[in-house]
Amino acid sequence: MIEGLLQTADTLLLLLCAVGAVTGAVLMVVLRQPMRVAIALITTMMLLGAIYGLLGVHFIAAFQVLIYVGAVMVFMVYTIMLLEMREATSRRFSKLLIPGVAGLLVLLGAIVASVWRPLPSPVGELGQISYGIAGFSVSFLNDYWLLFELTSVLLVAAVVAALAVIGIGRRASRG
Amino acid sequence: MDRTQLLIGVAVALFSLGLVGVIVRRNVLVMLMCMELMLNGVNLSLVTFAQQTATTVGAVLVFLVFVVATVEIALAIPIVLLLVRDKRTLDLGAYNELKG
Amino acid sequence: MMLTTIALLPLLGFVLNGVLATRLGGNLVGKPFVTVVGCGLPVVSFVLVVVACFTLQAGGYAPLVETAYRWAQIGEGRFEVGFYFDRLTAVMALVVTGVGSVIHVYSVGYMKDDPGYGRFFAYLNLFLFFMLLLVLGRSLLVLFVGWEGVGLASYLLIGFWFDDLANARAGKKAFITNRIGDAGFLFGMFLLYQAFGTLDMDRINAAFGGATLPAVSASLVGLLLFIGATGKSAQIPLHVWLPDAMAGPTPVSALIHAATMVTAGVYLVARMSGVYLHAPEASQVIAVVGVTTAFFAATIALVQTDIKKVLAYSTISQLGFMFLALGVGAYGVAIFHVVTHAFFKACLFLGAGSVIHALGGEQDVRKMGGLARRIPLTFWTFAIATAAIAGIPPLAGFFSKDEILWYAFASARGGSPLLWGVAAATALMTAFYMFRLLWLTFLGRSRMSAEVEHHVHESPWSMTGVLALLALLSAIGGFIAVPHFLEPQLALPAVDETLHHFETPLLVVSVVLALAGLAAAAFLFGGPPERAERLRARFAGVHRWLSGKYFIDELYERVIGRPLVWISDRIFLRLGDRALLDGTLNGMAALGRGTGRLLGRVQTGSLHLYAWLVLVGIAGALIWSLRHV
Repeated sequence: MIEGLLQTADTLLLLLCAVGAVTGAVLMVVLRQPMRVAIALITTMMLLGAIYGLLGVHFIAAFQVLIYVGAVMVFMVYTIMLLEMREATSRRFSKLLIPGVAGLLVLLGAIVASVWRPLPSPVGELGQISYGIAGFSVSFLNDYWLLFELTSVLLVAAVVAALAVIGIGRRASRG
Repeated sequence: MDRTQLLIGVAVALFSLGLVGVIVRRNVLVMLMCMELMLNGVNLSLVTFAQQTATTVGAVLVFLVFVVATVEIALAIPIVLLLVRDKRTLDLGAYNELKG
Repeated sequence: MMLTTIALLPLLGFVLNGVLATRLGGNLVGKPFVTVVGCGLPVVSFVLVVVACFTLQAGGYAPLVETAYRWAQIGEGRFEVGFYFDRLTAVMALVVTGVGSVIHVYSVGYMKDDPGYGRFFAYLNLFLFFMLLLVLGRSLLVLFVGWEGVGLASYLLIGFWFDDLANARAGKKAFITNRIGDAGFLFGMFLLYQAFGTLDMDRINAAFGGATLPAVSASLVGLLLFIGATGKSAQIPLHVWLPDAMAGPTPVSALIHAATMVTAGVYLVARMSGVYLHAPEASQVIAVVGVTTAFFAATIALVQTDIKKVLAYSTISQLGFMFLALGVGAYGVAIFHVVTHAFFKACLFLGAGSVIHALGGEQDVRKMGGLARRIPLTFWTFAIATAAIAGIPPLAGFFSKDEILWYAFASARGGSPLLWGVAAATALMTAFYMFRLLWLTFLGRSRMSAEVEHHVHESPWSMTGVLALLALLSAIGGFIAVPHFLEPQLALPAVDETLHHFETPLLVVSVVLALAGLAAAAFLFGGPPERAERLRARFAGVHRWLSGKYFIDELYERVIGRPLVWISDRIFLRLGDRALLDGTLNGMAALGRGTGRLLGRVQTGSLHLYAWLVLVGIAGALIWSLRHV
């Protein structure tokens, strides 16, 4: 019975997190001020992290919070603060509001129609941990070591690009 | 509706809302954040499907998506900064040099 | 090889003179070289022709056949360049090379001061080459090459002084009018080739004379070939180019438009006699056209005032006589007239050239007169030739013209009193206008301006020597029994037995007509000028009509020329070229431009639109895969 209760609590929590994520997303599109939009996004990401945790892949949940919220969104917040322009009077929505919403509905309809069928039964039960971070790391660095190396290359490229952008910026400001 | 369907529905919703946000909002930074939302939606679907197999492929892919998202944001924001410094506005309606 | 050499020697002269003696080659050689090459090679050709004649005689008059090389092999058809020498060819080749050579010698004196001396001889040699191809050729194809080639040479020589636009236009007119005739010629050739698979003239003649009826109608072929002859030999309705062709230098008029090229049509019909013997309808047409042209041209010659124009219309008229002879089946007699006509017409033209030379360029007979004492040699040769053409016995023209008149009356192949009557009237007019020319030019009181009169001088020996030779030939040439010589090959037509007793009376009538013409001309133009003036005043309307050459040129211009120009301008230029072709091209370009402009409206520069298009794409792809996958 505890199992059943835990099971129910699990599902309920999942549901809550899901609803929260979607709400955050909707708020993102609707809110006026960028800072509030950022907060909404952070909320959505945190709740996604919770969902990952509930699914059993805790390390991915950790990555989600660490990388997305900790790095990406912080950077975003800094930028919003830096570029705070007095644009309270600026408009919120572009000219394509109505076509956009119409397109959204069509897209949702199409996607839902495409995927609304019984999905294949999972090999493993959802929530069952088949591997932890140890297993992940081992397989990542053994079987997919090439991708690992490529990611480092990609990061180096990003650093170089960032330096270049600074250089352009300095030249632009000087000239 | 079982869990998988729910999570896939959430992923779809996140992705669609992100795309619409890019279309609908004027502020450049908000558009960037909506693109992050799209990536998150994709990530969620990846994780959901990855959980259904016994291999680690899915997890690896998710990790790579994280890396890519980081790199992307690391460069997108400086570009936006440079653009804004030139045009002095965050309104995307002002950026139409590609016209014609 | 001999026949090929005969034809190629003038070509060599053309190449040498054409390259070395003109501005093309940088004027490398002087007049002596041009003279030696330009006159020497035709003379050598003449000698070789004489040798060939003796060879022919030695071989019992079996035709000499030489194949130079095979031009083309198309499927089963072989087209060879071959030469053929029989009695008819011998006569024609002798005239062409003989008279041609002496006219070359005459040109040495006539064109002495012309800057285009080398070019002139080059073109003359070119003409000779093509004319020899024409008469020596075995197949109609080689003849046609010669035919076109002499047309080209004629064009080049008529427009020799091309700085004057009128000369160039005359050359163009000659060439184009010839071309119209050539269309008929070509169709005839096509029919013959289709029927017989060969264009060799001896084979075609044999095929028509053979036992089986040929697949093609002889009359049709005959008429088509005659259309070609009409163009080349200036018969109605394609005669309009010959008077204009007098714009060229006088030796050209003598050689090309009197002695040789214009007789090519006569030669063609005579050569294809095998066809015409079986084509009575075509022969009838030829006879009628010939006699009509003769009469018609003679009437115009009555009132012309340019010395060369009178001779030009006289040539047309005499050619009409030749075709009359051909039309009634007297092929040998027509060739006889070709020979005698070459002698006296060349003499007349060259004499006119001598007069023009003496007067420093004057060609209007109204401004001549009294020249007999000043340039006696020219006068006497001109007089002999005039008597010859008028038909006064025993000069050459009398014999040939009388034979034509006799066969026009009595031939069993279409002779009739009507034909004889018209021809006789023409003969009378011929005598009259030729003696009129003689009187107005040489006799009576001088109407020249003082300055011109001062400079009158006799021409150099190169010119007068030739005149003397041609006058001599005009006098005794009638005794060369050409029809008799050609009889084994070109049989004389049969004559109805009952008509034989007309022969002597008609002979007497011919002589009477010639003398009557002489008397009338002497009366009208020998005395005071008022006599001719009164006659003209009485028939002023007729005179105007004749002076205007029956306004045929104007008619052609109105009926053919102007509509063609209108069609070319309105339909082909404005509609076809500008509206359709240019319009299509420009339209396609405009279409591309417009489409590009339309498609370019997608690129608004708005990122929102692009993102929305991405969404539409995704949704579309999903929907499509929903329905089809």
